[in-house]
Amino acid sequence: MSAITVSLPGPLRKRVGNLTSVSVTGSTVREIIDALEENFPGLRFNLCYETGELRPYVNIFLNRANICYLQGIDTPVPPDATILILQSVAGG
Amino acid sequence: MSHHQQFPQGSTVLAVGTKRGLFLLVSQDRVKWSVETVALKGNRVFNAVLDQRSAPRLFAAENGDFFGSFLRYSDDFGENWQEPEHGIQFPQGGNLKLQNIWVIEPGRPNEPDMMYVGVDPASLWISSDHGKTWEPDVSLLNHPTREQWNPGAGGLCLHTIVPDPSNSSRMWIGISAVGCMRTDDGGQSWKFANKNTRAGYLPDPYPEFGQCIHRFVQHPTQPDVLYQQNHCGIYKTTNAGDDWVDIQHNLPSEFGFPIAVDRNHPDTLYVVVEDPMARHNVNDQFAIYRTQNAGEDWEPCTNGLPAGAGVRLGVLRHGMCSDTNDPCGIYVGTNTGQLFASHNQGESWELIADFLPAIYSVTAAVIV
Repeated sequence: MSAITVSLPGPLRKRVGNLTSVSVTGSTVREIIDALEENFPGLRFNLCYETGELRPYVNIFLNRANICYLQGIDTPVPPDATILILQSVAGG
Repeated sequence: MSHHQQFPQGSTVLAVGTKRGLFLLVSQDRVKWSVETVALKGNRVFNAVLDQRSAPRLFAAENGDFFGSFLRYSDDFGENWQEPEHGIQFPQGGNLKLQNIWVIEPGRPNEPDMMYVGVDPASLWISSDHGKTWEPDVSLLNHPTREQWNPGAGGLCLHTIVPDPSNSSRMWIGISAVGCMRTDDGGQSWKFANKNTRAGYLPDPYPEFGQCIHRFVQHPTQPDVLYQQNHCGIYKTTNAGDDWVDIQHNLPSEFGFPIAVDRNHPDTLYVVVEDPMARHNVNDQFAIYRTQNAGEDWEPCTNGLPAGAGVRLGVLRHGMCSDTNDPCGIYVGTNTGQLFASHNQGESWELIADFLPAIYSVTAAVIV
């Protein structure tokens, strides 16, 4: 299984040693999140509720496509994909 | 602004939780105040408490808009923060999800490592190692009536925790739109303590539970005496919550959120009643209401507080507190970012900070 590059937004970089991106393996977004949690404990709680659902203002893009328009966290992740995690634009 | 590792003995430290971060205000004389710390920027801090039962530790309930809610603690007055090793999270894969952390309550003086936290969805979290690891009270989580609990506008939040200092097995909790509950066996079972408190918005206005309790405090020397500000009235119990007596009397509204007690003169209490629909001062005068006879009658304290057609101030449930000094200090933060203080039991008031984000909570500690 090839490594997937995951880019993280500023507020989450403390969890990963202040890196802008990390590499993990997984064949679905769910497996990627599991791998992130294993390597960087606590990161899953930032992304998902305890129920497993993605937090409402967390957006995950697989090769520039928002997974909410694909299969959510069960979206398959092809080899050599890139994943970008961003918080929603919000404000007034 | 400077970062202090410690403040002189006798300093009063206010921990002000806001919609956008935590502010520590410090004074040596309770007249001149300075903002000494701004921390947890950008996140909603519902509550923060400086616990001095052992080495000072500052706890904060940080609720993020994007990436979750966390209890954090700092041993250097907010300069650096730690996350618990095992934090406040429901079991993975279950059906409960943490919405917000609402209140942090240090345990009894003789149990310096015990800490309690209340959250939405309504549950009580307990730490026996001063915040490093947390577990929920299982009995409350599995309470047989839980399926019938319905959230209020602020959520199904457990917002008040009173561990009885005279009885290590007894504790009261307050849950919005559920009411007051008490345990007499150290959290193994919980029963409702709402008799004679009114739920004016329900077909049965005196149910066993379903009351919208907003905040309550315990008498400092008579442990069975408690006072509560409810959505529908102000009440007193003299029997640990077995029943309650309405003490609204001459107050101009039954509706308000916070309540505070003068620990050195415990028949003196403070509330901030509001217009129940508009949720700001009842008329053009912003007032803190004081009783000096345990609720027999109330008087508006207004000296130094603003008035006028454009004055419309609201105070949230954790937005007022008292300190332990004599004469007592009272601190009131508004949901529009003004912080008022009185160092003389409410006789006069000063605006000690303005232009803060919306204030969610104010707690006071006198450095020992």
